[in-house]
Order: sequence, then structure tokens, then C-alpha cells
Amino acid sequence: MNPSNPPQTAEYGGVTIHPSSLEHLLTYVASRLDEVSAIVLDPGYSTTRAGFAGEDAPKSLIPTYYGKYNADGQEKLIFGDDVFVTPRPGLSVHNPIGRDGIVEDWDMAEKVWEYSFTSRLTGAKASDPFHNGLNEIPSEELPTEMEVEADEKPLADSPLLMTEPGWNPAKAREKTIEIAMEKWGTPAFYLARNGVLSAFASGKASALVIDIGASNISITPVHDGMILKRGVQHSPLGGDYISSQIQAFSKTAVEAGQPPQAKYKTFPADKAPDASYRSLLEERTISEFKECVVQVWAGPNKLSATGPNGVSNEEVARTTPGRPFEFPDGYNQVFGVDRFRVTESLFDAKAAIPDPDSPFPAPTPSQTLPELIKASLAAVDVDLRPHLLANVVVTGASSLLYGFTDRLNHELMALYPGPRVRISAPGNTAERRFGSWIGGSILASLGTFHQMWISKKEYDEHGPNIVEKRCK
Amino acid sequence: MSLASGVTVTDECINKFNEFRLSHGKIKYIIFKISDDKKTVVVDDFGAESDYEVFLYDVEYDLGGGEGKRSKIIFISWVPTNVPTLWSMIYASTRENLRNALNVANSIHADDKSEIEWKAVLKEASGGKAN
Repeated sequence: MNPSNPPQTAEYGGVTIHPSSLEHLLTYVASRLDEVSAIVLDPGYSTTRAGFAGEDAPKSLIPTYYGKYNADGQEKLIFGDDVFVTPRPGLSVHNPIGRDGIVEDWDMAEKVWEYSFTSRLTGAKASDPFHNGLNEIPSEELPTEMEVEADEKPLADSPLLMTEPGWNPAKAREKTIEIAMEKWGTPAFYLARNGVLSAFASGKASALVIDIGASNISITPVHDGMILKRGVQHSPLGGDYISSQIQAFSKTAVEAGQPPQAKYKTFPADKAPDASYRSLLEERTISEFKECVVQVWAGPNKLSATGPNGVSNEEVARTTPGRPFEFPDGYNQVFGVDRFRVTESLFDAKAAIPDPDSPFPAPTPSQTLPELIKASLAAVDVDLRPHLLANVVVTGASSLLYGFTDRLNHELMALYPGPRVRISAPGNTAERRFGSWIGGSILASLGTFHQMWISKKEYDEHGPNIVEKRCK
Repeated sequence: MSLASGVTVTDECINKFNEFRLSHGKIKYIIFKISDDKKTVVVDDFGAESDYEVFLYDVEYDLGGGEGKRSKIIFISWVPTNVPTLWSMIYASTRENLRNALNVANSIHADDKSEIEWKAVLKEASGGKAN
């Protein structure tokens, strides 16, 4: 059955709905609105996660990237997974969020986020039930006193909880609540720091949250449920940076495997998609490579250091069994020590593989994880440090790199030999990838959370600045 | 106002706490927990061994050097790592509410038994002076 065609009367069992029963139906629907779950929206640089509060995982997971192309002189946009599918002529790929995790293009961020919930959660905007073809009512029986709101906003029925990085500036926070209230018409809103949500999800009100995302790695100290702003540190050495390292090393790969035997699709110059489409798809393949092959040298010490019995760590890494990977073009290879090299610069800036073509400048020592942690802890009260080190929470999809938490543990113990260091990292992949979404989902589903929401009325009274006062 | 679950602290908790505070060591501890409907914090006095809970412990310690015995109330939150995320989240986001309602300054968060060994508790209670 084609869902876009209205069902015939026969499909309702031959029963014609009478206006009075329709009214009953509408009252019923209105009474159910109290039970509508809140929507939780966790926007990241690489993916945007959205879903109903109270559920275990976000139902809607879409790329934050969107596509733009021209057809018949009109600009067209593509959202969601469709962006990967068809290489339309002139298709270019963009991201509304900047590499630092802060929104750059608000108009497009609004559209991408809106797509994340309207595509899978709330459905398209409701149309007038008397004119959408679903109800056949003879015109003389149309009740005149009923008014249907002509322009219903997409979130008119759902409270919305959104997450944000700890370094989101006040202007961006105000802009976010403005979109939620005015464009989407949400009746209630809350903006939560993702560091706090990740800490809470591990059962801790105070923790040092280490988040390894696609565009950023960040350190967020949380104390008594509040982020310690001075201690928030972030740098661009995230998953996308690791991908750029993989590209850099694959250019210099020494032992060649079988040459690829693929037949490539070619485009005439005027039909070709933009280079940004190619890099998006390359990134997809590299992500797969990252998940299957890449590993972090687990320590102790750097990959370049020499172990206790005079054998260099690189030699030890070389003796571990390699891992095979086949690229889509048929090129395949067993990767040995190289699979450790591509992640080493997260901990040791000198180990970065140089690549003049990379969009990422060579990392500076201060961007590496150990230095970020040092800077973060140096900015918080001395008495809090041992407590934070005893409660390190690791989250973010790129922290799932094999060996990552072991290495982090070794680095922390080398930096702070005195206090006890304890890392808690959920073993469950979904909890690591969606940590802050899951935290938001639980909070927003609690009946008692209603006192935290910023209502539309409060927003109208105080303006967007209310978010600064209420969502600390 | 920091991000919080909004779970409320019942008067029963406050009353019991005041009784505890004024009992001069007769009551040694109170255990609190969040009710199963996730709406309020209640006293779980009789709870022998619960999976996750918050409790107060009146620590008596001797500073030595003729300063006599002191006692201090310690707020301990106990959320082990194997607790389901749902309850971890609710306990963590309610902790500050309860601590502020009771106004206890010294606190320990523990997810492992080693963190609530006598030595660690004594250190927190005495501000590192007694050992």
C-alpha cells in the first residue's frame, strides 16, 4: 500500500466517520498530549542524535553533514543518510557546526536538527484534518465552530532537552533557546552540558569527564553537578584528526599489497559532484578502517620509548599480530605497527605523521591529551584534584579505539603518581557513543524534572537570557 | 541552580536527620534512598545491604594531644559501577539536593569498597589531621 495515498473508505472497514465521533477522537487526542514524551536532542559535529526521553538509545541518528546542489536553477538540500547515496552533479557537502563544536551556520543548523526529529520522531507537520483527504465529510456537515491551527510548529506538543559542549558561548545558548521556542514552538526547554550528563550517567556528581568526539577531544571537570568552567579544555585531535593521520600514512605506505583492480566510475566535468562529497565518502571508509584495524599503544610510556628490557616499544608493537583490511577498491593489506602510529600523536605531538595536504595543522604539544588534562586540573582548586582523578569518566565514540583507556590510565599515573587514579568507561558501546544522550533521556523522562524545564511563559517573560540563569 | 533531577527530599528525612544530629552518637547512621516511583528521597533506616544508597555516618575520632574526642557527620554516597545507568543517573543528579537540604559539609562519593575504608572516612572527617 502506498502510504501517500489516502486510504479508501473500505479500508476503514466501510465505516464513515461521523463528525461527532471525530470530535470524540480529537478530545481523546488532546487528553493524551499530557503523556507525550519529551524529545532529547544531542547535536554533535559528525552525527546528530535525537529520540524520545525514557528510551535506551536515540531513535534518530543522522549525519550532521548536509548536501547542497542545483536542479532546474533551484537550490536543493539533502539531509540524513541520503547525503551519502547519490553523487548528483555539483553536489557539495557542508556542516553547519564549526570544527570547534560551536554552531557556525544557524539557519542550516536549525534545518538539520529539525530534520533529525521530524524525519523519525514527530512526523511531518499536522495538516488540517478536514482538508487532508483522510476524512470524507459532506461539506454541509462541516462543523464551523472548530478551529484548526493553520501553522502548527513541529514541536508544539513536546518538551525539548538539548545538550551542548561546556565551552558553548552565551550567545549560542541564547540562539538555541530562541530557535526551540520561536521556530519549533516547544512548550518547555532545557539545555544541559554534556559533561555533566556523562558524569551523572556514571553515577557521579563530581568527575573529570574526558570526551573523545569526532571533531574535538575535551576535558570537563564537574563538581557537585556543575561544570568548572575554568578547567574546561578542548582541542581538535578527535576522530576526524585520526582519520587525517590514516590518510597521511596511507600515502607513504611502504609495502604495497595487490594493486586495486576496481573499475572506477567517472563523471564528465559538468556532472561531477563537488570534492567535499568525495571527502565525506572517504571519511566513511576510513571510519570503518579505524574501527577494525587502528589501535592505541596501550603503554606504559610512549610508542617511541624503550621498554624495561631494552626493547623499544615499537619493536614490541611490531611483534603483535597484524590486522587485515580490504578497501572497497579491492586493495588489501595486513597492517602491523602502522596501526599504532596513526593514534600516537593524541598523546605525543612529535609522533604525528606529517602531511602538508591535511586540513589539520600539525598538532602542538599543548593539544595532546596529557597536556589538556594537566591544563584542566591546574585550573581547578587543589583540594578537588585527587577527587577528580579518582573519578575519571571516559566517553565519546572515538574513545572506543582499542587500547585507549589502558593508555590513558598509564599516562594519568605517570602525570600524577601520588593520588589514586580510577577510570570508569562504560563497556557498552552504545553507552560510550550516546553517553550524554542517554543521560538526557533519563533526566527528561523523570516526572520530577518538570521543575527544571524553562516554560514558554517564562521565556516570553524573560527573553532568551533566561537560559543563562537556569541552565548553569 | 545546577542540573538536577528534581527528586524532592521528604520532611521525614529532615526530621530523622535532626534526631540523628541531636542524639550525640546514640544513632550511628541513617540510610536514605530514592523511592521506587523515583519521586522522593526517603529514609531507609532498616535497609541492611542495599545496592545503591546514600548514607550519613557519624564518625568519632580522636585527634590526640589532649584535644579529646571529636565527632563529625559524613555524607557518603554509594553508587557502585554495576548499578544500571537509570539509577546511577537519578542518584547522581539528586545527591546535591539531599546534601544541601541536610547541610552536611563533609562528603565522600564511593563506587568501590576501598573508598569507604575506615582510613578514607577518617581522613575526610578530620580534614587529614587524624590517622
